[in-house]
Order: sequence, then structure tokens, then C-alpha cells
Amino acid sequence: MSNPVRGSDDQRDLDLIARWKAGDERAATELVERHSAALARFAVSSGERSDVDELVQDTFVRAFNSLDGFRGESSFRTWLFTIERRLLLDRRRTEKRRRDRTELQEGDSATEYDALDSVVADETQRRLQDAVGRLSPTQREVFALRVAEGLSYKEIAEAVGTTEGAARVHYHNAMRAVKEFLDE
Amino acid sequence: MNDCPNADLRDQLPDLLHERLDVSVRAVVMAHVDACDDCRAELELLRGIHGMLVSRTPRVDINYVVNALPTRAARPIRVAPRRRIWSDWRIAAAVTVLAVGGGSFAVLRQGAIPAVDTARLSQPMIVPGTDSMSSGANRVAQNLDSVGGASGTARGLAPAPQSPLASADDQSGLATTAHLADLNERELQALLDQIDQLQAVPITEPEPVTIRVESKKSSPEGA
Repeated sequence: MSNPVRGSDDQRDLDLIARWKAGDERAATELVERHSAALARFAVSSGERSDVDELVQDTFVRAFNSLDGFRGESSFRTWLFTIERRLLLDRRRTEKRRRDRTELQEGDSATEYDALDSVVADETQRRLQDAVGRLSPTQREVFALRVAEGLSYKEIAEAVGTTEGAARVHYHNAMRAVKEFLDE
Repeated sequence: MNDCPNADLRDQLPDLLHERLDVSVRAVVMAHVDACDDCRAELELLRGIHGMLVSRTPRVDINYVVNALPTRAARPIRVAPRRRIWSDWRIAAAVTVLAVGGGSFAVLRQGAIPAVDTARLSQPMIVPGTDSMSSGANRVAQNLDSVGGASGTARGLAPAPQSPLASADDQSGLATTAHLADLNERELQALLDQIDQLQAVPITEPEPVTIRVESKKSSPEGA
């Protein structure tokens, strides 16, 4: 299931990184252009509703600051997903502390997605959105990386910090849950 | 919506959606999807979810992200510091001093343990400072004093540390051997000849004394 297009994409990323290290600032711009949309999709799929630009920006800033530590063992995009996921977890912890302080009782993840209903006009899309929104955070991350980004289970496992088998189980459980919700 | 019993093929539907399959595998999966209602429905579901996720994602401001990135100036070429000429001179001078000094010390140390000393130690032992030291030994000592200028030189021929009268210089052995080293071949030979004539082991037993007792003839009986 090797994809020559994905391999050439990875090589292109490595070339751009090398150019940026050599002082070519345009290489950084191209890297942002290549991966910012995917990072934004992952953020939204994971339940991030606001400040997506800021999250993507923070992800790139962290990545470029530690680019010397990137050894190319995974793809650059997978590495970016790993960084973004950590930032998301930090945000959620901060948000949880803030909610605990203000003693605001918010709903579950499905309720969070309800806030976006006005954006989604199509009824079918709204149903799909609800179905995905009911997944557990880990299922949602795995499902988004598999369906929206087309990552392999190995890449998902690297990004999420789990095993390849566990990523496969999460995906299939998520797919079953989505189907069951849509069949109700 | 049911799950297709062919789990392996169903597992490849997201890869088919993202065109990540090899040509041969893609043909197999496509053939299966055409014949399987469940897989076809699941593929449509995946397309719908993918479209939903893409449509919900806001457009990212590229300039906003790029402006926050750290700048990476080209790394300057490191120029090796120029070696100073005077430092080479200092190194060479230090090496020369060490070589000359070390060599001189080694020569002195070799001269401090001459073969003549060990040869003389194999000669009959002279115990200095004893009352029974013969007059020949005294002559040798005086001879050495005249040559080396130190009275300890003669005593140095014997194991000096054993003598309570030996000086500190004698115990080191360095001064003695240094003076012996000053003798030429002929003087050393003469010294050896005198040593050979010494009575090496002093006589500790008293010399036999002959006492003559004269017998007095008396005639008490006859008195």
C-alpha cells in the first residue's frame, strides 16, 4: 500500500526543511502552505472551535523552533500532527481548569458541536457532524486522521501516541458508532 | 447500514478515498466495491464525512502563521582561528628544554649506579668504624680522602647504612659514587689492589698469649 506520491511529498518536505536551514525563508512559507489546511482540519475535527489560526500558528512555531530535532523518521506532516495534538491537550486542560474555576457546567462533546449548527446548512452534514461529535476524543482523533487526512494506521499511531493495532480498533469502533447513530 | 464481512477490503476504503492504493490493489478494491452494497454505502459515508470535515474547516491565514515563525539566518562558515607563530616557538622551546633536561637527568642517574660499585661489593666486606679495622683499611680511606675530599668515600665501599657512624651522604650513596666516578682507571686499579690486601674480616677472637710459668724447686719435705 505504498504510495509514491506520499513518498515524493515527504522528500519535498525534507528538501524545504534543508533550504530553510540554509536561510531560505520562502521554504518556510511553502511548508506552511502545504500543511496548514490539514492542521486546521485536524483541529476542527478534534473539537477545536475557536482560534484555529492561532493553534496552527503555535504548531508551526514550535515545529520550526525544534526543527533541528526532526530526524525524518516519520513524515513532516505526522510530526506536525503530534505537536498540534499536544497543544490541543494543553488547551483542553487549561479550558477545563477555567471551567472548574467558574463552575460552569457545559455539555458533552455532542453539545459542543451543537454550537456550530448555524454554520452547517445541510441536514445530512449536520447529522454526520453529530455522529462524529459523539465519538470519544481518541476515536475522533483517529477517525479524523484516517478519514479526513488518509493517514495509515502506522502514521496515526505515531501522531496519537498509540500502537498501530489500537489505532485500527479505534477506527473501526468509531465507524460502527457513526453508523449506529445514523441508523437511529 | 451493515458491515461488509470482508474486513480487509473494508479497511482499505479510506485509502481508496485518498488515492493511496497501488494500481493493482486499487483495481481489486474497486471491483469489490462495485459488487458489494455495504462497501459502496460505507465509501459514500466516508466521502460525506470527509466533505463535512473539509467544509467546516476555516481557511488559515498563511501570512499570519509565517510572520510568527523564527527566522533562520544561514549559518556562518566557521573560520578556524589563525595559529600564532610565537606559540609554535614556545612549544618548540618547551620540548627542547624537556629533552635536554630529561636526558641530563637520565645520564646522571645512570652514573649513580656504576658497575664498579657492584663489583666492589662482591669483594670482602669492610666494616668501618670498628676497633679492629686494620691499618690497611685506614690507608685506603686516607687515599680516597685525598682523591675525593670526603672521608665518607671509603666507608661507602662497605654497606654504609649498617654503620651507625655513617653520615647522611653516605647513606644516600650518591655522593660516594660521584667521587668514585672521578677516579681514573689507574687510580681505581690501585685502590682495588689495596683493598685486596686488606684483611677483610676482623679477628674477633683474642690472640693466643703464651704465659711462661717457671717452676720453683723447693724441698719442704727435706726442710
